[in-house]
Amino acid sequence: MNEELYPSIFSQFKGEEGELITILLRVQEAIGYISQEAVKRISQFLKISENQIYGVASFFSRFRFDEPGKISIKVCMGTACHVHGGSLLADAVGWDLGITYGQATPDKRFDFQRANCLGSCTLAPVVQINDKIQGRVLVTELKETMKHREEF
Amino acid sequence: MNPETAPVNVTIDNRSITAAVGTSILQVARENDIYIPTLCFHESLSPHGGCRMCIVEVEGLRTFPTACTTPIDEGMIIRTHTAQIQEMRTEILQLFLSEHTASCLVCGEKVECREYMSTVRKAGVTTGCRYCPKDGQCELQAVTESLDVNEIIYPIYYRGINVETGDPFYDRDYNLCILCGRCVRMCQEVRLADVLAYKHRGRKTIIGPAFSRTHLDSGCEFCGACVSVCPTGTLREKARAWEGKPEREETTTCSFCGVGCQVKLLVKEDRIIGSLPADDPLVNQGQLCVKGRFCNTELVNGHQRVKNPYRHEGAISWDVSWNEAFALIAEKLQASSPDRVGMLVSPNLCTEDLYIAQKFMRVALASHHVDTTARLFYGAGFNAYLGLMKRAVPLAAIQNASVVLMIGLDTRFSRSVVGVALRTAMKKGIEIVTLNPREHTISLKANLWLQPGIGTEFRYVDMLAQLTRGAEVPADGISQVEREKLEQTARMLSGSSNPVILVGAEYLQYDSSRELLESVAQLADNIGAGIMPLPAQNNLYGSLLAGSYPELLPGMRSTGDDAQRKLLEAVWGTSLSNLIDSWTAASLVACDTPLQFLYAVGEVPPPMSAPADFMVFQNMYPPEPYGSADLVLPSAAATEVDGTFINGERRMQRVRRAVVPLGNALPDWEILCRLGRFMGATGFEFSRPEEIREEIARAVPEFTQENIDARTPMPFVLETDMREFTNDATAHHAAERAQTDSAPPFLFHASVIEHTHRGFPLSAWVDGAKLLFPEGTLTVNVEDAKALQLTEGDVVRVSGASFERTWPVRLASTQPRGTLHASLLETASSHPNPQPVAVRKADV
Ligand code: SF4
Ligand code: SF4
Ligand code: SF4
Ligand code: FES
Ligand code: FES
Repeated sequence: MNEELYPSIFSQFKGEEGELITILLRVQEAIGYISQEAVKRISQFLKISENQIYGVASFFSRFRFDEPGKISIKVCMGTACHVHGGSLLADAVGWDLGITYGQATPDKRFDFQRANCLGSCTLAPVVQINDKIQGRVLVTELKETMKHREEF
Repeated sequence: MNPETAPVNVTIDNRSITAAVGTSILQVARENDIYIPTLCFHESLSPHGGCRMCIVEVEGLRTFPTACTTPIDEGMIIRTHTAQIQEMRTEILQLFLSEHTASCLVCGEKVECREYMSTVRKAGVTTGCRYCPKDGQCELQAVTESLDVNEIIYPIYYRGINVETGDPFYDRDYNLCILCGRCVRMCQEVRLADVLAYKHRGRKTIIGPAFSRTHLDSGCEFCGACVSVCPTGTLREKARAWEGKPEREETTTCSFCGVGCQVKLLVKEDRIIGSLPADDPLVNQGQLCVKGRFCNTELVNGHQRVKNPYRHEGAISWDVSWNEAFALIAEKLQASSPDRVGMLVSPNLCTEDLYIAQKFMRVALASHHVDTTARLFYGAGFNAYLGLMKRAVPLAAIQNASVVLMIGLDTRFSRSVVGVALRTAMKKGIEIVTLNPREHTISLKANLWLQPGIGTEFRYVDMLAQLTRGAEVPADGISQVEREKLEQTARMLSGSSNPVILVGAEYLQYDSSRELLESVAQLADNIGAGIMPLPAQNNLYGSLLAGSYPELLPGMRSTGDDAQRKLLEAVWGTSLSNLIDSWTAASLVACDTPLQFLYAVGEVPPPMSAPADFMVFQNMYPPEPYGSADLVLPSAAATEVDGTFINGERRMQRVRRAVVPLGNALPDWEILCRLGRFMGATGFEFSRPEEIREEIARAVPEFTQENIDARTPMPFVLETDMREFTNDATAHHAAERAQTDSAPPFLFHASVIEHTHRGFPLSAWVDGAKLLFPEGTLTVNVEDAKALQLTEGDVVRVSGASFERTWPVRLASTQPRGTLHASLLETASSHPNPQPVAVRKADV
């Protein structure tokens, strides 16, 4: 872990309790999640307990507390994608990786999330692998793609 | 309530009521015996308005306000039980119940059950069985009853959360939680411990500490305050869950430290089933620490307690009667000379016991050889510490201070009520500086955290003393950051009104303890600070006042003091021995001449003491594995006797007998009086502790009945210098040994464990204490442990210049890198303290 990370994030703040959410956002931007280490550092900076910080952070679904996998797979479950069978795609990915959405594989290679709308409703159902959006995905197609997942 | 504001007139359920302005509807209703169901409300917490069970109708309002959060207003017309409200309440309750899988609420047998609580609350709807405690604390039952709800109409939503049983003293079953938030408010607003918080949201909301950590890992003090306010079975005391409802309560004084909290003992069938804080305005204000809250019950009920006098010889032991025991003691004493007998008493005993103990030695045996283990605990700093006690200010001084300096005090598992007072004071703007090498409960929030290296604490205090005198201090060996903090502290202290210095027990066994305590006194002089020594022993003052020291007669006067000798001789009708030698408890350790007869009253002689020819061990528990004895006598526990303790503020407080002594056990004073009479001595004809107090009052002018009633701090008249136990006494014990280990040296520091009672570490007899404050383990920094490839529980061999010991390892991130700490029953055999040591895994 980069020793300078926390000091450089904190240097932009005054150390007041009200800055908690913004600090959490910065930390998540920087390392992709809110680690136990991060909570401890923030606690020391703001002088509020780790328990309270976690309580606040866990209220917002955008904060995650486990290290994300390197390769991100997002299956859209927004309205349009949902009616076009998004959940079937999610099941397919889940079966394939042996995890469910919101998790990363234990080796931290793959990260599986569901999205609420990826802004490409006309292409529903949509899957996003890293930055690449794929539209009108069929389950069979997705399974084929997943076979080559190590190359994503 | 402000007398200048006119009272407010309201009508509740057609009754006209006048009440003070600002009062909530709920409060007014309760004061007038009008029942409004509540769940999230609790008298000692801020109103929350979360459960909506207390909704009422107020004429003119279209919504239904919650009575707990709505203040009354002039002319309000309130109705608490209209059909509409009852229906809404029932609806809300039904929603609660659909998530609260407890059929006991709607069980057909609930009326009989409530009366006797004879079964465990077996609660199964569609989810398998849940067990809920039968402690009579469930308010959900009361509310269900009041709304006459007899079935759960909504589908059950069962969360299937695992019951959390891994922490000591209490369990948590969040399937039963109604999210009333009482525990959170208790932990955050009253205790200010910030352990509990709401996590996640919506249906997933749950209460607990960060991540999925245990309470042990989250800074919880195990004060049990959250458990006491939970209106459901979610939070439950391990030891009390199946005990049923208490039959009666008895208020007494906690016997585990010098704070002297007032405790409410819960009694059922002549057994202590629990202990809760008493709402005492002087000392603990409705709070306790883990010892007073949880350790007591287990300690006094332990199945290993001694119930009969027994004789022990070689590998066998056999019960004897009291008279046989007395006859044996008398016989042994006849064969011993007064200079070869000794008595060791515990400063945990009542003043009455301590007085009788020394009287027994002085009158029946004509010997001044009576001492307490406090001498060993305070070592070279004994006089300096007593000097601080003389200047002790009451606990309330914290609230009037502007700056508080804490030296070596961690309030997590001991003196937690002081911690609560400190954090409350901080909220009001009092500044706190804490001096401690290790991270501890207050270090996160303190205004300044001085972090000396282990063993250099005394230098910090000395520097503060010099700086506040205006002296220039050389900065050798102290980092720039630390130096600035020291200077800032000195400025804060000098510029403040009513500063207070709190002295904990953390460095009292260091070689530098005397210097440290003397510097504390100097510092206090410089800045005009009040001092609060927080003795680990609940009745240290009582032991001095009762004269249970070889150099002190009752009244804290020197054994050579003619006036006091005359007074005592008159009161006792006997003449006192003129043989005043240098014997103290330290002589046991130095073992120059082993005693012919040693009598340990409520105390365990230090492990390295030389065995006496005959040893009597009078205590609650058998001596093993901390020692052995020839004759063991059963003492009553502190919950089984009447008497008094005098706390660190020097308040005399009552100890009340809540239950009869276990088996054939007797109060310590009674055993000694009976023995005295058996031996034909006069002056032991007491039948009640009051009679002993009357005699003490005659022998000690400072001791009056008035002290007990008023609990005002007593004067401290000690003029005598006490003989100090220095480590030289044991020096010749420590065989010089060559250091053969090649592992890198660590700095090892040891302290005498303060979580003890009657000479035993609490971890010996209380299960949860084994996890929280074990005796005889080595604390290693987590990172150091990684480097040494050690994991929790590994056994390591620690070798210093003068000792070699093996201990199991505990990991802690709070232990500074490169240092090792051990909490032990005695530290004399591992001196110097601190010292460099090598450490390696013990061969298996
Ligand atoms: S036991 Fe005390 S410190 Fe621990 S969670 Fe409960 S209230 Fe908070
Ligand atoms: S654990 Fe008890 S006190 Fe805490 S929110 Fe749940 S029901 Fe209320
Ligand atoms: S702080 Fe001391 S007196 Fe109070 S409960 Fe704890 S051990 Fe007992
Ligand atoms: S709903 Fe899936 S992209 Fe909009
Ligand atoms: S008791 Fe008033 S809202 Fe809960």
